[in-house]
Amino acid sequence: MKLFYLIKKELIEVTRQKELLVLMFIGPVIQIIILGYVISTDIRHVPVGIVNLSKGQAAGQIIQRIRQTPLFRVRYVSDRNEDYLYLLKKGEVKTMLIFRDALDKKRNVLNYPEVQILMDGIDSNTSMIAAGYFNGVIKNYILNDMERRGQGLPLASKTVFRFNPQLRSINYMGPGIVAFLLTIITMFLTSASLVREKEQQTLDTLLISPLSTLEIYIGKAVPAALIGIVDMVIGLLVVVLWFGIPFRGNLFYLFLASLVYLAAILSYALLISVLSSTQQQAMFFSWFSLMIFLLMSGFFTPVDNIPPLMRVLADINPLRYLIKIIREIFLKGNGIAYFWKDLLVLGGIALTLISISLLNFKRFISK
Amino acid sequence: MGRIKAIIVKEFFHILRDPRSLTMVFITPLVMIFILGYSISYDLNRIDAAVIDLSQSRLSRELVKAFAANRVFVVQTRDENSPGTLSLAAAEDLLRRGKIKEFIIIPADFSRRLAAHGQSDLGIVIDGSDTNVANLVYQYNERILLEFTAAMSGVGPLLKIDTKIYFNPEVRSQFFFIPGLAAVILLMISAMLTSLSIAKERETGSIALLFISPLKSREIIVGKTIPYIIVALLDGLVILLFARFWFGIPIRGSLAVLLLFALLYIIAGLSLGILISTSAPTQRVAMLATLLSTMLPSMLLSGFIFPIDSLSPVLQAISYAIPATYFLRIIRGVILKGAELQHFLFEGGMLIVLSLVLLAAATRKFNRQRKAVQ
Repeated sequence: MKLFYLIKKELIEVTRQKELLVLMFIGPVIQIIILGYVISTDIRHVPVGIVNLSKGQAAGQIIQRIRQTPLFRVRYVSDRNEDYLYLLKKGEVKTMLIFRDALDKKRNVLNYPEVQILMDGIDSNTSMIAAGYFNGVIKNYILNDMERRGQGLPLASKTVFRFNPQLRSINYMGPGIVAFLLTIITMFLTSASLVREKEQQTLDTLLISPLSTLEIYIGKAVPAALIGIVDMVIGLLVVVLWFGIPFRGNLFYLFLASLVYLAAILSYALLISVLSSTQQQAMFFSWFSLMIFLLMSGFFTPVDNIPPLMRVLADINPLRYLIKIIREIFLKGNGIAYFWKDLLVLGGIALTLISISLLNFKRFISK
Repeated sequence: MGRIKAIIVKEFFHILRDPRSLTMVFITPLVMIFILGYSISYDLNRIDAAVIDLSQSRLSRELVKAFAANRVFVVQTRDENSPGTLSLAAAEDLLRRGKIKEFIIIPADFSRRLAAHGQSDLGIVIDGSDTNVANLVYQYNERILLEFTAAMSGVGPLLKIDTKIYFNPEVRSQFFFIPGLAAVILLMISAMLTSLSIAKERETGSIALLFISPLKSREIIVGKTIPYIIVALLDGLVILLFARFWFGIPIRGSLAVLLLFALLYIIAGLSLGILISTSAPTQRVAMLATLLSTMLPSMLLSGFIFPIDSLSPVLQAISYAIPATYFLRIIRGVILKGAELQHFLFEGGMLIVLSLVLLAAATRKFNRQRKAVQ
């Protein structure tokens, strides 16, 4: 019952500020919608330049196809051999395509031209994708050309994309954004909580109250968890209803995973709060952790790419597990049989963090 | 000017009084770049694939070999748990568990039909959940199949394609990510530095002293921003040097030009922070607002990861309001391509405009609060 009053006090404190309410509930919706659109944009309109030094028909026809697809935006065309590198340097084009006549040993002009692709390697991802698109255009051209001349291609492959047939990136990223916003909001509310009482010198009042340390922790964590759950429900509704992401799994498992995750992330935030002496320090700590959590979670780039030494950090990153579970539930409809290990690890992280801050509470707080 | 000096000195004391925060301002970005510089990479080094070879003919084995010969493919044709070829159900399960990225089905009549009709089919199932990876896997498949077909039918190389990569010949994503990270981190640090300054005075009540001081609102806002310029600029320099000497990111352009633009960029970040600080009633609100307004937008809308060219017109318009958009172009241009001052006059000008707008908004807000109290 004592605990109930603390929770009530915390909830009042959080909800009485209009600005905080707006940030907590409206902010995430706007972010999900805007970011959802950013993420669902596939790479298109890659700026390219074309230099056509070939006299053959094929080059002209391939260039025609490049102009027609929305994948490329042709910014520069020339049939003279001049300094095209400078456009690449200026960043005006990401890729430069140069067509030349290909000759065989007898110096006869061959059917297909030679192509040289000059890529801006800085945004290697875009360049690689552009090169892939370009290969696709050429492949289609050759296939059509061979068919027209009555030569069928002997091998036809049919590719199916399982779990996400249309390859919509929002299906993959959307659930991840919800998980991340849940993290930002609960982590900030909680990491600022105890240190705020320190700054305003109300912590002593809390310490001499009949509440035990664990109860103080719970009292600080429960309101944030409640707000987090509400945010999560709103976020899920937005991604499912607004963006039409299919939900194939079990809602119960999703909430179970989120609760275990919240236990871990809130324990971490409390630890930050106990260790910091000003709210500014708490903010820097949380920010630092959030960036690491986010960028090592597989949200943007696959976790497989992380080298072994840094892998340890990825392995104790709670967000990584939530994102993995939430994606599996959303896209693959996987049941608990597939991710119980991840849940256990999350639970383990939570227990470890709670124990550290409970055992060292007196030592930490006196600083 | 003398009056502004007083407030600058006061803020400096304030910064120096909390050495722990100051250390964090300098240490955390380095640790972050250190960890993330090694960890973020798009490069697909390994594709786990399974082949269900129902044909078991010479030709089908050659096809499997063609895949296995590619350095990124790790091809599995047998089931770990039961003997014999992989079953469809087992392959589906591997895909669901994320153990493989794709499986290829070679039908039983593969070589028979090829011999009889000169044509045969192949089934490929790719895990589409990570669209980026799925696309890359698809492209690898296509290339291998095209080459295999060409070799088989004796057409020879269909079209000679020769690819050259500039500015980053080894295609290390570090070249792309580390300057980007430096830009995003610098903006967030700047915004955070000032975001609590006025909110804190409000929370502790000392804001009343500022209100009744003879200083103009403009002077207070500017005075509270200036000390942090020095802190953030030093921070930026440390970050750049770390990227240069630890990760070997070459600075091909002039460091002075880069620092000049960094200065403009930092001022924009600090101005954003001060605007948040004057608008927020408590530090908690200021913190959350700073994070929500800087973190995801400057990572997702600035070209840090997703190219701006692909965004829809509305989103492109939003990206113009984000300081990181401009500095990302500048830092990548100067560091990696050796671009010069005159290439970025527009970007620099926009950064100045953004700072002025933000500072003016902050001053107005502060002034109004002051009037309301008096």
